[in-house]
Amino acid sequence: MPRMSLPEYPSPGGGAPGRGTSRAARVGFILGGLAVLLIAFVILRGGDDSGDPSSSSSVQTTAAPQASTGVATQEAQSTGANGDRGAAETGSTSTSARPAPPTEPAPRLVRVVDGQPQGGIKTFSYKKGDQVLLTVESDTADEIHVHGYDLKRNVTAGGSVQFSFKATIEGRFEIELEDAGVQIAMLEVTPS
Amino acid sequence: MRRRLRTAAVAAMLAGASAAVLPDAALAHGLVGRQDLPIPRWLFAWAAAVVLVISFVALAVLWPRPRLEHVRERRVLRVPAALEALCGVLGIAGFAAVVYSGFAGTQTATANLAPTVIFVMFWVGLPFATAVLGDVFAAFNPWRAVARGAAWVAGRVAPGRLPEPMPYPSWLGRWPAALGILAFAWVELVYVNRDDPSILAGLALAYAIVQLIGMSVYGIDTWTRRADAFAVYFGLFARLAPLHWRDRTLYRRPPLGGAPQLDVVPGTVAMLCVMIGTTSFDGFSQGALWTGTNGIAPTLQQRFLNLGFSQETALQITFTLGLVFMVGVVAGVYRLGIAGMGSIGGEQQADLARRFVHSLIPIALAYVVAHYFSLLAYQGQAMASLASDPLGDGSDLFGTASATIDYNVISATGVWYVQVAALVLGHAAGLTLAHDRALVVYRRVLDATRSQYWMLAVMVGFTSLGLWLLSASAQ
Repeated sequence: MPRMSLPEYPSPGGGAPGRGTSRAARVGFILGGLAVLLIAFVILRGGDDSGDPSSSSSVQTTAAPQASTGVATQEAQSTGANGDRGAAETGSTSTSARPAPPTEPAPRLVRVVDGQPQGGIKTFSYKKGDQVLLTVESDTADEIHVHGYDLKRNVTAGGSVQFSFKATIEGRFEIELEDAGVQIAMLEVTPS
Repeated sequence: MRRRLRTAAVAAMLAGASAAVLPDAALAHGLVGRQDLPIPRWLFAWAAAVVLVISFVALAVLWPRPRLEHVRERRVLRVPAALEALCGVLGIAGFAAVVYSGFAGTQTATANLAPTVIFVMFWVGLPFATAVLGDVFAAFNPWRAVARGAAWVAGRVAPGRLPEPMPYPSWLGRWPAALGILAFAWVELVYVNRDDPSILAGLALAYAIVQLIGMSVYGIDTWTRRADAFAVYFGLFARLAPLHWRDRTLYRRPPLGGAPQLDVVPGTVAMLCVMIGTTSFDGFSQGALWTGTNGIAPTLQQRFLNLGFSQETALQITFTLGLVFMVGVVAGVYRLGIAGMGSIGGEQQADLARRFVHSLIPIALAYVVAHYFSLLAYQGQAMASLASDPLGDGSDLFGTASATIDYNVISATGVWYVQVAALVLGHAAGLTLAHDRALVVYRRVLDATRSQYWMLAVMVGFTSLGLWLLSASAQ
């Protein structure tokens, strides 16, 4: 294997280490750095719960074929496992999430019109352990598939289907019109 | 994905709307059942702090004389020739099984063996294995095994009458490999039929044929070392491994010890920029900035739709531009750092760019781990059922066809820690390699240290980009 030519190393005396860092000083640097990081970890981890972006908004829209004709009043409310979650709403990075009216926990609703989710693909956020209540109304017959949890229910044209399950798996999961292959919503489960 | 696009196109026509009805283009591919949550803000902040502290501690404590340039390798064991042949046969058999499944099996991506093996086990699993065990792909490389088998037979049948291979043009260097990886990334991230098992099988076959032709013209070893995109790709990661396979002998060496030995032929810088840039685009293309309601992708796609392109073509042009742009960004950041280093004097910038490029290998690996660890951890489990039912026709070869994916094998928090740890470790390894090389390039330690402010800026840039891609602001 051909090797690239390199200049000679500096001779032992030549490029003498100008920085007279002793072994003890080096160990000190490393230990100091580790200590700083450890303290930062403990402080940050405990003190920034509300800043956790995953809990900042219960419904987000990522792509909106039919712009904002949504059904936000039913959707923007998070399930009431954590009463303080509404306080974090302002941290939303969402493009079209609406403020949540503080009503009682309502099932999330996806309305499928012409084979597309009305108001774009929304993200429904839950904490792990929450009860997920999800209704899909569709004007076309298809199978609704919640990925990851691998739940499948058939829906008739003009009918609706309801999912009720415990959020046991963390992550983001596609909710899809299985036969059409169209994503209609996103389920997001964050660590509790 | 293709069905999704078609449906979207039909829906657009039905609606008769001039407004864009854009399909959701956010998903990497249909194999992904579970996507990662963005890392929380506190972890992002902490990881950034770790990166800075590591960087400055490294400046203070790293050694004043090069240590990794010439590492000593210790022989561990020697394997018999029969084992080498067996590995080659296994490689060919595995390749044949994947291609056959792709053509003959169900065309549902998740139920067919081919897409999961290609996108998960091969593309993601092998870099993980390589970084630990050394260049395992070299042993199983199916097209190389075919070529060597053919050469062996030809040598028996017609000894001494084989034509000499043509000399490989030195200006070509690793450019074919860089373009090959870019092409693979295009298929994975841009091509709308990426999940179609029969198309994947066809592409795999075509790739193997090109490699066979290349090897027959330029010689098996030369072609494999320079132009076989995957051999080069895995070979670069293998330089970080503590194990080194050479001539049927296993050596051990310090981790990272192989990287300074990198022979920096033309195209090597491009290869690493492609590796980092394509992984970056995979993260970026799933983010709100790219796919959001007013994101870059829908806007660009609309432009191309207005130019008269079809929905699919417009989508692919948009994503191709994004892919190339990300590779350009990575190359630009690296060039900037090199230009800064050049200001210290002594070396031509092109020389410097080549001399320090090996320090990007750990960054590239860190990006792969950060972006694909969960894909391997979750979708990798699908291998249990797919191995038993590779065609998706209900067979149960090993009794594991009904195995499912346990998504709780590692928690979201666990995935976050792995992602952040990968980026931080890659950062530290890149800094170490760059520092070591600087001590060789610059005769005075002071110059070496000064030059490393620039490399440090490059590394901090790449690691910050990696963290940002994982964070909520990008997702």
